[in-house]
Amino acid sequence: MREVIRLSLTLAVVGIISASMLTSIHGVTAPIIAERQEAEYRQALELYFSDFDRFETEQLDDDYFDLLYNSSGKLIGIMSTIQQQGYDGYITYNLAVDSEGTILGLLIVSHTETPGLGDVITTAVYQEQFVGKSFKDPITAGEDVDIVSGATVSTSAMINSIRRVIGFIAVNYLGQESETIDITQVPNGTYQGSASGLCGPITVQVKVTDGMIISIEVLEQSETPTYFIESYPLIPDQIIAEQHFDIDTKTGATMSAEGIIAAVRAALSEKKEDQSGGEEDNESE
Amino acid sequence: MKVNNPYLQDLTQGIVKENPTFRLLLGMCPLLGVTAYIVNGLGMGLAATAVLIASNLVISMLRNFIPPQVRIPCFIVIIATFVTIIEMVLQAFQPVLYEALGVFVPLIVVNCIILGRAEAFASKKPVLRSLSDGIGMGIGFTLGLVILATVREIIGQGTIFGPDPESAIHLFGANYEPMALFAQPAGAFIALGLLLGMVNVIFKRFNI
Repeated sequence: MREVIRLSLTLAVVGIISASMLTSIHGVTAPIIAERQEAEYRQALELYFSDFDRFETEQLDDDYFDLLYNSSGKLIGIMSTIQQQGYDGYITYNLAVDSEGTILGLLIVSHTETPGLGDVITTAVYQEQFVGKSFKDPITAGEDVDIVSGATVSTSAMINSIRRVIGFIAVNYLGQESETIDITQVPNGTYQGSASGLCGPITVQVKVTDGMIISIEVLEQSETPTYFIESYPLIPDQIIAEQHFDIDTKTGATMSAEGIIAAVRAALSEKKEDQSGGEEDNESE
Repeated sequence: MKVNNPYLQDLTQGIVKENPTFRLLLGMCPLLGVTAYIVNGLGMGLAATAVLIASNLVISMLRNFIPPQVRIPCFIVIIATFVTIIEMVLQAFQPVLYEALGVFVPLIVVNCIILGRAEAFASKKPVLRSLSDGIGMGIGFTLGLVILATVREIIGQGTIFGPDPESAIHLFGANYEPMALFAQPAGAFIALGLLLGMVNVIFKRFNI
């Protein structure tokens, strides 16, 4: 018994000395690190928004949105700091968006993607394809941006995340009309739409009767089967039950689930665009 | 050539006769991971040397206090403390190097040279001899990293003192197409193998 106590005490003493040393060093270095990171961040901000004066930070879950104002108090852009699940752990990136909702630049802050494959997201060639895109663009793999083979998961995660973020920014901070689809206004019929999931496009067929979604069928998908069964038919059932798209996707198969939701959304919104396209033209003229 | 001074012997042993890179083949993981550039190799070597010297010193001082049953956890805690200190200091004052070394800085904790010297040397020998052993092994490891990094950077990148464009010197002009294999970990194995062969030949020749 005495022996056990002696051993534990030795370990405890070593641990306590170690912890107190680390605490004191951390106290010295932490402010320097924080200061340097903030200086780097301000530098990044000045790169995109040369005339910004101050910023306000808004937080949503793990994402931060810095609203940048110039000296006369006008909103000139938004710098968002986003956490996105990649292939291996989280990708943290900055997305710079101007007041028109156009992407000015993309900056990967930290990531743990596979070197040589997934880390293609840090290259200028990959990032430049987003520059100049706005919330009006589809930002969909295969349409206006490309995924990189060998790094499908990392690159499509970035594409989906950027699309989500820019849409969120446009609706919440730039006063753009939310693209909420009023299901009750959708005429009866069967609609098809697709969006990218984890491993490729997901195509769905949505049946609408009397302003209600009555069935959602997945026509085409190449998701990982073990993950896919977690979101299908669960996600379509939820959409049908709740008749909107704000479904909680934290099931362990987020990308597949979000892919299904995005595909349903695409199916119904394309229909809507056909109808309202003419009206918009009239307004602008 | 017989050296009678034990401190000098401990010091030179780590650099030549028991060079951790070329003779003991310890610490291969950071060796292959960070030696794409000389600057990174040197930084890694110096960081590991600092940890090695500090941990050898402290472990040797505590060698009569630490009971043998719990020596490994104690060693690891001591080494991890120094590594974390180095990590925080690097992050605060050498951010570029910190970014370049990435995960290999925290991995110094499990670098087998450091635990190996703690177990085989510092826990049994007096403080000053452990200190000179730490310095010698550290220099030997740094030397190994820098030699391998020099070979790899010249062949794999065509530069020395990169990747910072301000200090990088292009040896073969800007149009040189580097042999990218040597910038990859696989190329590190090939370069290391060739170097080991050369070192063996030299050592045999001079009967070291």
